[in-house]
Amino acid sequence: MSTTTLTEQPRTGQPAKKPGLLHGLTWLVLRQHRTTSWIVVALTVLGAAAIIYERGAMADMLAGMGWPDKDVSLQNAPQSYEYIAEALGALPVVLAVFIGAPLIASDQEHGTAHLVTTQSVPRRRWLAAKLAWCLSLVLVATVVLSTLFSWWWEPYRDLLLSEWLSGSVFDNTGPMLAALSLFLTMSGIAIGMLLRRVLPAMLGTFFFALVVQVAWGQFRHLLGSPHIIKWPLNADTPAMVNSSDIVETDRWVGSADGQLYPWSTCVEQTEKASDACVKEHGIVDNVVEYFGYPQMPGMQWTGAALLLGATAAVAVFVLWWTSRRPL
Amino acid sequence: MTFADPADAAGTPGATALEARGLGKRYRRGWALRDCSFRLPAGRICGLVGPNGAGKSTLLGLATRLVTPTEGELRIFGVPVDDPAAMPRFAFLSQDKPLFKRFTVAETLRMGSELNPGWDTAAAERIVRSGNVPLHAKVGTLSGGQRTRVAFALAFGKRPDLLLLDEPMADLDPLARDEMGSLLMSEAVERGTTVVMSSHMLSELEDMCDYLLVVADGRIRMAGDTEELVPAHTLVTGLAPDGTQPADLTPHTVVEFRLQGRQFRALLRPNGPLAPDWEISEPSLEEILLAHLRTPGAEPLYTHEARVQAEGIAAA
Repeated sequence: MSTTTLTEQPRTGQPAKKPGLLHGLTWLVLRQHRTTSWIVVALTVLGAAAIIYERGAMADMLAGMGWPDKDVSLQNAPQSYEYIAEALGALPVVLAVFIGAPLIASDQEHGTAHLVTTQSVPRRRWLAAKLAWCLSLVLVATVVLSTLFSWWWEPYRDLLLSEWLSGSVFDNTGPMLAALSLFLTMSGIAIGMLLRRVLPAMLGTFFFALVVQVAWGQFRHLLGSPHIIKWPLNADTPAMVNSSDIVETDRWVGSADGQLYPWSTCVEQTEKASDACVKEHGIVDNVVEYFGYPQMPGMQWTGAALLLGATAAVAVFVLWWTSRRPL
Repeated sequence: MTFADPADAAGTPGATALEARGLGKRYRRGWALRDCSFRLPAGRICGLVGPNGAGKSTLLGLATRLVTPTEGELRIFGVPVDDPAAMPRFAFLSQDKPLFKRFTVAETLRMGSELNPGWDTAAAERIVRSGNVPLHAKVGTLSGGQRTRVAFALAFGKRPDLLLLDEPMADLDPLARDEMGSLLMSEAVERGTTVVMSSHMLSELEDMCDYLLVVADGRIRMAGDTEELVPAHTLVTGLAPDGTQPADLTPHTVVEFRLQGRQFRALLRPNGPLAPDWEISEPSLEEILLAHLRTPGAEPLYTHEARVQAEGIAAA
């Protein structure tokens, strides 16, 4: 990152004095975004402390109730868990709107993009340094928080009542929080660069992030292929089907030849009518389609790989765009 | 003919600081600059004159890579502007003089040193100190004049061979304007820096510039050495009894023709002898500029130095 690589030879007799460890663009980018960096670091530390403290509080509460020796069932997950899961769910949007969107748009709006790009450093290198700073900050913050959140959720997942495929778990643990945040932040940077104004960029990024979050919620279950379990119509439901390990996606009744009927096909007013219906269709099995807990990491890494690929594509677009035209 | 010895700045005496060939920029609303070809020899202080929207800022933007040309090319000391090697050779000061408001003055100068290979700390600090601008003050707390001084320090600290200024004094009070004007002249003369400065202040240009580039409606109207451009014009007053342009004017290039009752007043570029009954006077630079700005349709005038030869000056 040192600017000295650019020069043929210094044109002054004495080279400029350079105190400190950081030089060139690295120094400039860190100095310009010093406040933002400190705020993100402070919020990350605060969030980490909150997770560690609340996890301890929950562990104490459960120990008081005799868990794991006694079977404990919570009516609700603890409030603090709900709040923190929600906050983490909003984190990618917050990072995209407040860090991604203004990254380039602010320099364009205040003219400082012109200031920096008329020094002796090509604008693509400056932008690359800015992207590197921004994405590293997002990566560190989200990896710390999602690792701690996974550490909270995993041992207590049977008690915490949320399915692992729900957004509050799936998107907040493993690589997903980082991947979603990086993708939305990078998109915010691109939106900011194209809109050239901070406020429109933040609004545009906010709505884009909402659309992505909603679409992602629809898309999540396509990341893996569900398994199927069958058991005889009159037998007891296998314990596995009721455990928190599986996420049931559909339920049918099936005939001996494998034909599936909607689960409610033979739900009738009277038992007699039901039996007649069962006989008529030749129904013998209960059939459940589900995702098993062991599928979770695979689905998360597939999702993360897709999002990181998209992040890289947007980053390449931004750098290509700026090397073609001025900011 | 040179104002200062350009050997220091440009490497070779007689070098060309800025050369445009068929340069043009089209925006969605139309051409901002078109068919722009000229040559600016090194070491000159060049005034860039034209009405608002004439293409001055576009030309400076093209020279500083803030605008991409639609056609043609522009070279700074022979290096095409889109080559990163051209970047250390120029410095740019725009009218709004953007700086990072949360940086201190010292940090602003440090930015200059971090991003520019030939940075001259001593010169930059001298310019800031001579204006009593405190180094630890945040840029956002400085007055307009002080901020301009910091922007000048950043520009001169880069040790540019070519300094491009877009209405640098427009928002300064008369005192700061005078101070910056002398600062600019002393620094430029000391180093033989070539300066291109757009301005609306014709008197300012007359005092400072020895070279002119007049732009109107996106085209170059006049380019060259002030000392050659002024004598090429004559101001004549005569009788126009029928209220039309007298036939005697036809052989000359009429830049501007104005009727005042039965009299006319015309700014000419004479071609041959003038009619004996006309009253002849030498126009001031300001009169010539005003005439050209009022009548952008006049035939463009280039002095020999400013003309781009067909075979190119790459060998020069």
